[in-house]
Amino acid sequence: MSIAGISELAAELRRIVGPDGVLSAAGEMLVYECDGFVVEKDTPDVVVFPRTTEHVRQIVLLCRRRQVPFVPRGAGTGLAGGSLPVGGGVLIVLTRMREIVEINLRDRYAVVQPGVVNVKLTERLRGTGFHYAPDPSSQGSCTIGGNVATNSGGPHTLKYGVTVNHVLGLEAVMADGTVCEFGGPSEDLPGLDLTGALVGSEGTLVVVTKVWVRLTRDAQSVRTMLGIFESCDDATAAISDIIAAGIIPAALEMMDHGILEALEQAFHFGFPLDAQAILIIEVDGLEAGLDAQRERITAICQAHHAREVRHANGPAERIALWKARKQAFGAVGRISPSYCTQDGVVPRTRLPHMLRKITEITARHGVRAVNVFHAGDGNLHPIVLFDEKNADEMRRALDASNEILDECLACGGSVSGEHGIGIEKIDFMPKMFTADDLDAMSRLRQAFNSEGLLSPKKMLPTAGACSAERSHPGRRAAV
Amino acid sequence: MLAIASADDVIELVHTARDTDAALYPEGGATALDYGLPARKPGYSVELAGLNQVIDYPWRDMTITVEAGITMQSLAAILAEQRQRLPIDAPFAEQATLGGLIATNYSGARRFGFGTLRDYVIGISAVDGNAKLFKGGGRVVKNVAGYDMCKLLVGSLGTLGIITQVTLKVRPLPEASALLVARPVNLAAAEKLLAALNTSLATPVAVELLYGNQFGDEWRFIVGFEGSAAEVAWQIETLQAEWPREALAEELAVIDQLEQQPGAWQELTDFSLPAGDVPLVVKFSVRPSQVCTLLDKLRTFDDQAAFQAHAGNGIVIAQFRQIPAVGACKFLLQQLQPAAHACGGYAHVWSAATADDFTRPAWWGGVRGEMVYMERVKQQFDPQRLLNPGRFIYEND
Ligand SMILES: Cc1cc2nc3c(=O)[nH]c(=O)nc-3n(C[C@H](O)[C@H](O)[C@@H](O)COP(=O)(O)OP(=O)(O)OC[C@H]3O[C@@H](n4cnc5c(N)ncnc54)[C@H](O)[C@@H]3O)c2cc1C
Ligand SMILES: Cc1cc2nc3c(=O)[nH]c(=O)nc-3n(C[C@H](O)[C@H](O)[C@H](O)COP(=O)(O)OP(=O)(O)OC[C@H]3O[C@@H](n4cnc5c(N)ncnc54)[C@H](O)[C@@H]3O)c2cc1C
Repeated sequence: MSIAGISELAAELRRIVGPDGVLSAAGEMLVYECDGFVVEKDTPDVVVFPRTTEHVRQIVLLCRRRQVPFVPRGAGTGLAGGSLPVGGGVLIVLTRMREIVEINLRDRYAVVQPGVVNVKLTERLRGTGFHYAPDPSSQGSCTIGGNVATNSGGPHTLKYGVTVNHVLGLEAVMADGTVCEFGGPSEDLPGLDLTGALVGSEGTLVVVTKVWVRLTRDAQSVRTMLGIFESCDDATAAISDIIAAGIIPAALEMMDHGILEALEQAFHFGFPLDAQAILIIEVDGLEAGLDAQRERITAICQAHHAREVRHANGPAERIALWKARKQAFGAVGRISPSYCTQDGVVPRTRLPHMLRKITEITARHGVRAVNVFHAGDGNLHPIVLFDEKNADEMRRALDASNEILDECLACGGSVSGEHGIGIEKIDFMPKMFTADDLDAMSRLRQAFNSEGLLSPKKMLPTAGACSAERSHPGRRAAV
Repeated sequence: MLAIASADDVIELVHTARDTDAALYPEGGATALDYGLPARKPGYSVELAGLNQVIDYPWRDMTITVEAGITMQSLAAILAEQRQRLPIDAPFAEQATLGGLIATNYSGARRFGFGTLRDYVIGISAVDGNAKLFKGGGRVVKNVAGYDMCKLLVGSLGTLGIITQVTLKVRPLPEASALLVARPVNLAAAEKLLAALNTSLATPVAVELLYGNQFGDEWRFIVGFEGSAAEVAWQIETLQAEWPREALAEELAVIDQLEQQPGAWQELTDFSLPAGDVPLVVKFSVRPSQVCTLLDKLRTFDDQAAFQAHAGNGIVIAQFRQIPAVGACKFLLQQLQPAAHACGGYAHVWSAATADDFTRPAWWGGVRGEMVYMERVKQQFDPQRLLNPGRFIYEND
């Protein structure tokens, strides 16, 4: 877009949201040129911060009139480049729509605007006996709108289900500027479950402006354990056996030696640095059933040569343990200048195989990976370390990551458990799906976003989505 | 009637239907074919019960992949061998198929604790009206690659695609199971019990409020528990202590499910199946807090009606025996739907003895804004309108 065109557009947007709701100076764009996926960058032409659904509606109508692409964005913690404005256009940042509109405990739902930070809802509900279950590790900063768009998971979604299991309805601004409600607080409305189909659509079908979420009763009690293992093989075999025994822990997370080292350097939590892997295992529910579950889990861990199964004594220890888990990604910065995180999924029985494969693949490419992941779901997050300044190393790191994902597919798994496809994994879609599968998905997009102005070139490798042919070239890190 | 043995058969059939412009009516166990408006366009029924193989059952991963025509009974038997199950209550399980259940998004009493099919279908394959076999999801329990085609197909009543194969997430069978049966003095007392449950430490898997002549025209409040023996016993004790005595007309009864066959759970599952000639069965979806208000209102329309409320979820299934002289369609539009709206929800027809005079909005609970997009989706997946035409919510059918 020409400079004159951009300033005209910015002026019109200011008329909609007011003078303090628009950014268009080049220097102000840096924050918005990528999300948590830093490999590829592209600058928006204008960034706009609506405060109401009506603002969003007018912004979308304006973009349509001018045929400018527009992309919704929450907190920008996404890890697949979902909110990257490919080819420029208007970035609609929803963080100023952050009101918790209603909490209804009797009917077990809350209504929130999309910019509400996940943990804010948790905080608001504290003491009510209810909570909002999806708890991504990024919950301190990510928005519920972003969670809905990516169908986020979290440690406790093993037992309680991912975001889509907790969304009852949506209000959205459609790509043509109409405002529409989907579902709502009453369950099973007649017709297609479009709410379900819109969750996880990564900002490519609608702009979400309000969400009805289900509230879950707090568990009466909880037991948190730390299983310490001498080998990753033992730890992953224990995970598979816990699931096969029909136990559904509230959370079952694994951290390997590499991540423990990083955590210790950063925070000194006191993890045993000579262990090869630890499992954080939590069971919750009725007090009456928990000790029995804890015993069974302890026995399974011991059968897999756990050196020790520690029990968290009281809430303070439990909180410390979860704090460590949620800061694990952040700590990686201590041991490596750059890293990329993968998000593959395998059947849980294949975890021992996959962990061995990750070691083998990274070694072959001369790089190193550390692991911290949602083990109970089979959802791996190998973090491959590299130095951005070393182009060759970066290439090897990305090659290793891709090979890991190929191996997940070979195990009958998926290339994304929770981060989404965005722009990062478009090339994997044809490996996972047939041309007809992808065609069905593009037809779904066609039904909602027929002009293609809403978040173009994401998720599906349809015409033009390939990174090679972009009108306004973004910057790809030197790979 | 065309019998199907493979997904390829389905593809071929849709090709033929496209060429001859014949409608296709998928059929599983044929237990719920009267769900939806009557078919008007000539065509063939597509018999899917032969498509019933288990493709893969990696039980240690707690997932199973099966063909869609498998009956719920066979599926349950296979899962039970590994002490697992799909916790969805299916009536006439020896006949009803998984595909049929998914197409109608059927659920029963246990939905309060376990959710509905949308929470269990993790992978799906279907042949759409363009004769394309497509799949969505996969075989792992967590997966966000691509759009969630599973959600799109659950409850689509066979109008977007003929479902051929499904991957499910399954659960362990519980060690113990019991039902607590109460007789509330009236509906106001029932609401007190419901509200108390909402803040109780007990975590039931079913919360049912029933009324019908098998109970001598009295209300029954039934709460179901599943889990370890210790958990079930503790919860029953807790509720017995918590519940206000003045709300109860008599002492609570406990049914220990493991000792009583064929089982009270099965009775709950079968309660709302129209026995004989019930002229109108309607499903209401309202806010849970409004269930008793709604039931109170519905009783004034027909004092012979029977009700099953999945009260914790705000679902009420009403079997009306007396239809006012204006007819069933007007009854819905003039009385039942306003009553549902007043309780924050909707009403739609489950089955009607004389279905011919129904308008589409009357049958399907009115017109909502999102239906515009349902039309657009339908147009993409079945542009020739070959799949179950006329039966579902689409205005352009
Ligand atoms: C309104 C209603 C009334 C009911 N009444 C009864 C009853 O009287 N007796 C009883 O036993 N149960 C009844 N049920 C419950 C019924 O058992 C379940 O809904 C379900 O099990 C039907 O399975 P089926 O295989 O018999 O489906 P069918 O009756 O064969 O089909 C039901 C619907 O699903 C579609 N369908 C079936 N299979 C597929 C597929 N593979 N792909 C796409 N679409 C498909 C059909 O076209 C049809 O519209 C009723 C349910 C409802 C909702
Ligand atoms: C340290 C760290 C830990 C993480 N841990 C987890 C985890 O445990 N589980 C997990 O699932 N993810 C995790 N993530 C990824 C990320 O936090 C989630 O994907 C989150 O849901 C993104 O929310 P956001 O508000 O930052 O959205 P953004 O990154 O701004 O956007 C994400 C996507 O959603 C779209 N979008 C945003 N808002 C809207 C809206 N209102 N309407 C329509 N589309 C919209 C965007 O276009 C984009 O495609 C983690 C990320 C980091 C950095």
